[in-house]
Amino acid sequence: MSLARYLIRRVVQVIPTFVGALFFMFILVRVLPGDPARLIAGPEALEEDVRRIRELLGLNKPLYVQFVDYMVSILRGDLGTSLKFGTPVINEILNRLPYTIALALVAESIALSVALPLGIISALRPRSKATYISSVISLTGSSVPIFWIALIFIYIFSVSLRILPSSGADSPRHIVLPSITLSLLLMGNLTRITRSAVIESLSSNHVLTALAKGLKYRVILIRHVLKNALIPIVTIMGIQIGSLLGGAIVTETVFAWPGIGSLLIDSIFYRDYPLIQGIILFIVLVFIVINIVVDVIYALIDPRIRDVLWRTS
Amino acid sequence: MGEKVLEVISLRVYYDLPQGTVRAVDDVSLDVRRREVIGIAGESGSGKSTLALAITGLLRPPAKVVSGKVLFNGVDILRLSEDELRRIRGRKIGVIFQDPNTYLNPIYTSGFQVAEVFEAHRGIHAKKYLNEVVKLFRLVKIADPERRVYAYPHQLSGGMKQRVLISMAIAERPDLIVADEPTSALDVTIQSEIMDLLAEIREETNTSIVMITHDLALLFEVADRVAIMYAGKLVELGRASDLIKDPLHPYTKALLSILRYERKKKLTSIPGSIPSLINPPPGCRFHPRCPYAFSKCSKIEPKAVNIDGRLVACHLVGGSE
Amino acid sequence: MEDELILRKVEEARKKRLKEMWSVFKNNRMAYLASYVLVAMYLMALVGIFITPYDPYDFDLSRARQAPSLSHPLGTDELGRDILSRIIAGAKYTLGISLMSVTIGALIGVMLGLISGYMGGLVDTVIQRAVDVALAFPTILLAIALIAALGQGVVSLIIAIAVSTFPVYARLVRGSVLQVINEDYIAVVKLLGKDPWYIMFKHVLPNITSPIIVQSTYYMGLAILLTSSLGFLGLGAPPPTPEWGSMIGSGRVYLFSSPHIVVSPGIFILVTALACNLVGDGLRDALDPKSRMFIRRV
Repeated sequence: MSLARYLIRRVVQVIPTFVGALFFMFILVRVLPGDPARLIAGPEALEEDVRRIRELLGLNKPLYVQFVDYMVSILRGDLGTSLKFGTPVINEILNRLPYTIALALVAESIALSVALPLGIISALRPRSKATYISSVISLTGSSVPIFWIALIFIYIFSVSLRILPSSGADSPRHIVLPSITLSLLLMGNLTRITRSAVIESLSSNHVLTALAKGLKYRVILIRHVLKNALIPIVTIMGIQIGSLLGGAIVTETVFAWPGIGSLLIDSIFYRDYPLIQGIILFIVLVFIVINIVVDVIYALIDPRIRDVLWRTS
Repeated sequence: MGEKVLEVISLRVYYDLPQGTVRAVDDVSLDVRRREVIGIAGESGSGKSTLALAITGLLRPPAKVVSGKVLFNGVDILRLSEDELRRIRGRKIGVIFQDPNTYLNPIYTSGFQVAEVFEAHRGIHAKKYLNEVVKLFRLVKIADPERRVYAYPHQLSGGMKQRVLISMAIAERPDLIVADEPTSALDVTIQSEIMDLLAEIREETNTSIVMITHDLALLFEVADRVAIMYAGKLVELGRASDLIKDPLHPYTKALLSILRYERKKKLTSIPGSIPSLINPPPGCRFHPRCPYAFSKCSKIEPKAVNIDGRLVACHLVGGSE
Repeated sequence: MEDELILRKVEEARKKRLKEMWSVFKNNRMAYLASYVLVAMYLMALVGIFITPYDPYDFDLSRARQAPSLSHPLGTDELGRDILSRIIAGAKYTLGISLMSVTIGALIGVMLGLISGYMGGLVDTVIQRAVDVALAFPTILLAIALIAALGQGVVSLIIAIAVSTFPVYARLVRGSVLQVINEDYIAVVKLLGKDPWYIMFKHVLPNITSPIIVQSTYYMGLAILLTSSLGFLGLGAPPPTPEWGSMIGSGRVYLFSSPHIVVSPGIFILVTALACNLVGDGLRDALDPKSRMFIRRV
């Protein structure tokens, strides 16, 4: 009831953002590079071929007509046809999506299983080894070039030790290296946010109240410290999963993981504009949807936010 | 004279800070008898809140008990293990904090948070105790208690939240309630309601109350005895009626004259300011602000002397030793 | 008269705050050390081309893929070029592109944020909606989308990274402006009848420089990683530019036999990005230890 109303309102709210993103993409692809038909056809193509492509893509119509056409077709779920594969763009994306989802979930789970305990312990014991490790991880996560560490991993585990495959997605073992690499990137932020959220929550006055009640330490930790620390953690998780579901572009490319990210890079090299456009729109859409999901989770955790969000409609 | 519920003996609590050691509570002794309301008053920074935390065993680093005892029903709670202390907190000693807005957890219902006290000491999940919480809410005069137990803190007014915190403190009928500035975050009209409520609760539950505040006017309305703290020291302790009639320590006199002068003004109008607790003035800590100070005051620290059951630490009172 | 006095006081307080910030920063040994590393890296970018032991572009297949030795301390790459020379010469690209794009992104973002926060109303709404759109793209995706549209090259790389950094500045600055604008002294300045641009630049901006600097330091690190990632993907500086990420990208084919080609440029990227983050942490702690408003990397 109120949740449904809230969801509808949020969806209505993001429509301008989404249309804005659409418009941005539209401008980017049709206006900036000069003549996309020429780009697609290549510099040596005959003028006639270029004209044919132009008509095929509807590029001969006025710009605003093109934009309206484009909007209408997108609303119908039609993202156009891939130039390279000759198949609907949406099919290409859906084919790759399971791989991207698998990689995103495995990587986020690995990152969480390290970052949560580490962040919590380092918050509870400020002068321990955990604090030191968590600050190293947090710095590494934000400083390491992911493509480079991926190559180092490949060299160690695939070339030297020969225990893990370096590319492709033929067996469950193939996901090990890409997901660990990716999780390294996620872990840093996650650890840092967890740590600071728990520290902040620990020092809040209601924890003192909980102590004064005589509650057991474990109960206080779970109920009054960790649950309150959840909001910033969920936020960063949401952002991470949101951007990963759009394909971990670099990681997927290095490990030739057949997800959406590597598809995007391929489509750029093929100059497959409908595909590029379709993928980017898809990623933006996923990002926006995840943001809404995160807001709903907030509301589920924090009754204050629930009241503010669900009542004002 | 009833039995002693609480006895604080020469307590010293220091904070080790990078800037130096803060002597927040410095050699303070006092006792609390059954059914007694004892008030502890002083300006902010006088160490009264530290004292409250020490009594409840809630001191956190960098605060450190340097010496002294806090005997609760004859047991020194400073020597208890964390778990033994836990069994006393909430069950034998209830605490009411200063700011009801931040001392309740925003993400749980008020009823649940009160019920947690029962969970802590009787086992079984807090949810099972909501009926008892309704009774408690009725006791602390929360209107519509059946509905209010399901209300979240942000849906309640400040006064209501303070009543929730009070119901938490009295839930297990403790022997002692420590109330640290229980009304300072509330409207003036609600302040006296809360004070009346505390007085009533004392009548009904036979509990002793340690009331910490900087608001003397409110304090004298409810307290049986009043202790005045200055810069980590207890300067005067006596029956509220005696103190108000005939204050002995110059600091108490100053406080009371302000009170008479302007009833609503807070205690900030004494000339000078409270001294640094890292480098307190030598001798009597009040001497730089004391209108009666003489040479001895800046050299020798006055010891508390007992005059007809009143304790006063001043060279002017009780003569030389 | 009195108004001028107030303004002078505000100015003095600001200088004092900066001084305090600097002394706290200097006490953070890691951050202080990292700031020297950064300076060294930028010096290298500045004079690099003059101090390379070999010509970074001079290829000779006969000495291709040599392991590190005395004459080639970091070995040679797939075309026989000296890797150390290429790294030294390449600093100009990796660091230069990052610096340029962060500067441009910051300028645009700060301008938009100032206008948005100071003007409010419709202008604010329009700018913030545009920022919303930009923030709807994951950072690297926005950069890739722009490069796909603009075509490959150093200039489009700079534009792409600048565009992907500006929205956060716009948000940050707008927030700070809204805080500052309610301070009494701004009201005083307004009463003196100065025009809004003057007030924005002379009185609002100086008061929000520290958060901008902190954010920029983090973004330098991020931009270095972005630049090199795009270079690695083949979307960045085109060959034979010795941009560090591109070097790794073209060397990765030989990972099996000659891992040294990819190892050393990566270490330089890592160290520089790490230095940026350490300096950023140091500055942030000096500015406000509790602050969580800065974004290190998403």
